[in-house]
Amino acid sequence: MRGCDPHECSQLNELKIDMAGLNMLAGWTANGNTVMIEQMPMFGGYCGGIEETAICDVATTLASFVLFSGNFHLDGPIHIRWGITTSRETLQIAGHVAAAMDANTDLLIANQYYTAAGPCTEMCLLETAAQAITDTASGRELLSGVAASRGVTQDKATGMEARMMGEAAMATAGMRVPEVNRILEKMVSSYENDYANAPAGRTFRECYDTLTVKPTEEYRGIYDRAVKKLSGLGLNLLG
Amino acid sequence: MATERALTIFDVYDRFVKGRKVPEEEWDYSIIPTNATELKKKYKLNFGKNIIPEDKATMNNLFNAGLEMLVSTGFYNTDLKRVLTVTESEVMEGIKRTPKQLIIGEGRDAVRLCPRKGNGPVKPIIQGGPMGAPVSEDIFIQVMQSFAQEASVDTLVNGVMSTIEGHPATTNTPYEIRATMAEIRAVREACIRTGRPGMGI
Repeated sequence: MRGCDPHECSQLNELKIDMAGLNMLAGWTANGNTVMIEQMPMFGGYCGGIEETAICDVATTLASFVLFSGNFHLDGPIHIRWGITTSRETLQIAGHVAAAMDANTDLLIANQYYTAAGPCTEMCLLETAAQAITDTASGRELLSGVAASRGVTQDKATGMEARMMGEAAMATAGMRVPEVNRILEKMVSSYENDYANAPAGRTFRECYDTLTVKPTEEYRGIYDRAVKKLSGLGLNLLG
Repeated sequence: MATERALTIFDVYDRFVKGRKVPEEEWDYSIIPTNATELKKKYKLNFGKNIIPEDKATMNNLFNAGLEMLVSTGFYNTDLKRVLTVTESEVMEGIKRTPKQLIIGEGRDAVRLCPRKGNGPVKPIIQGGPMGAPVSEDIFIQVMQSFAQEASVDTLVNGVMSTIEGHPATTNTPYEIRATMAEIRAVREACIRTGRPGMGI
């Protein structure tokens, strides 16, 4: 790892850290490395509801810089029931925390992506787009992902999900927030009743030719359909 | 009172050592929820329906509630079972100390991370990768290459290599270290294969 590569240290839920974390940070800061501190506040966990989790999220974000000498903070409000960052509640926490940090500081903040659905599904791409829209419009500086299928299933991550994250962010940058909120309302409503039966999707080997590393025709078709659906909801990825 | 200086990792450790002892269960189940609930009431926070706030008052009230949460509650060390405290002026000093721009990666593949200030026209940096999700050893390079080759991806974040030379990469074993080193080599190889050798990882 070079000094310009982010070195990641995780806080613990909520407002906690262990000695292993502190010891890593002592070495990295002495070495002048770039430090990214990560923490995923849990909605429905120790903090409680949406506003309470957001309060803890702001506190934990500040701690990354003030206590742990982080250069940027990687957020990730996560839903205790579904294990995802793309639910309405966790998007609302992330959107409010980013806007609060952005309005009051120049600190660099990021967010990470865990979807319910797996790769090669429209739902996974719509979940990803919804979070990318939220993160971009609320002023975050870096988006990190995507761990599809909640990030727990072997080989359920591909570059196509990151393509959606990036293209949705590009389409959103510069839009007015009230317009973004209207689009988000429609988008989240389109998938939020399906968490319990989210499509498992396909593995990397089923999504890509592993020799040429090119996505399959099936996945490119699903991607195109998701782009068309987003366009119908008011987000134009083709422009 | 003016602060002595922005806190270092060593200052933080010293404060933990001198901090008050608190059982972890009390921290998790009493102190955190009680303080968060009180601050929600004090700052009259109710997000309503908007996913992103449209009014400055909500943004400022949430920031002040979070700041007060950190200052009034402190931070917990799970090994020492102790709580450190930090003052508001130390928080502000720490914010001032933090660099507001970063270069990630090097050469022509470097990207600049800097404040966007609201929903400005500049897109955020896109860090592509499996985010710690498990990835098979035999396709690890190809999975990372699929992210590195995307036009909108600026930097990479790797997955976790499930095995190393067939051995489970179990936490707190030498194989965990061996797998981590292999992950870094594989991510570099993925960057090279896509013609972006300087990409930040």
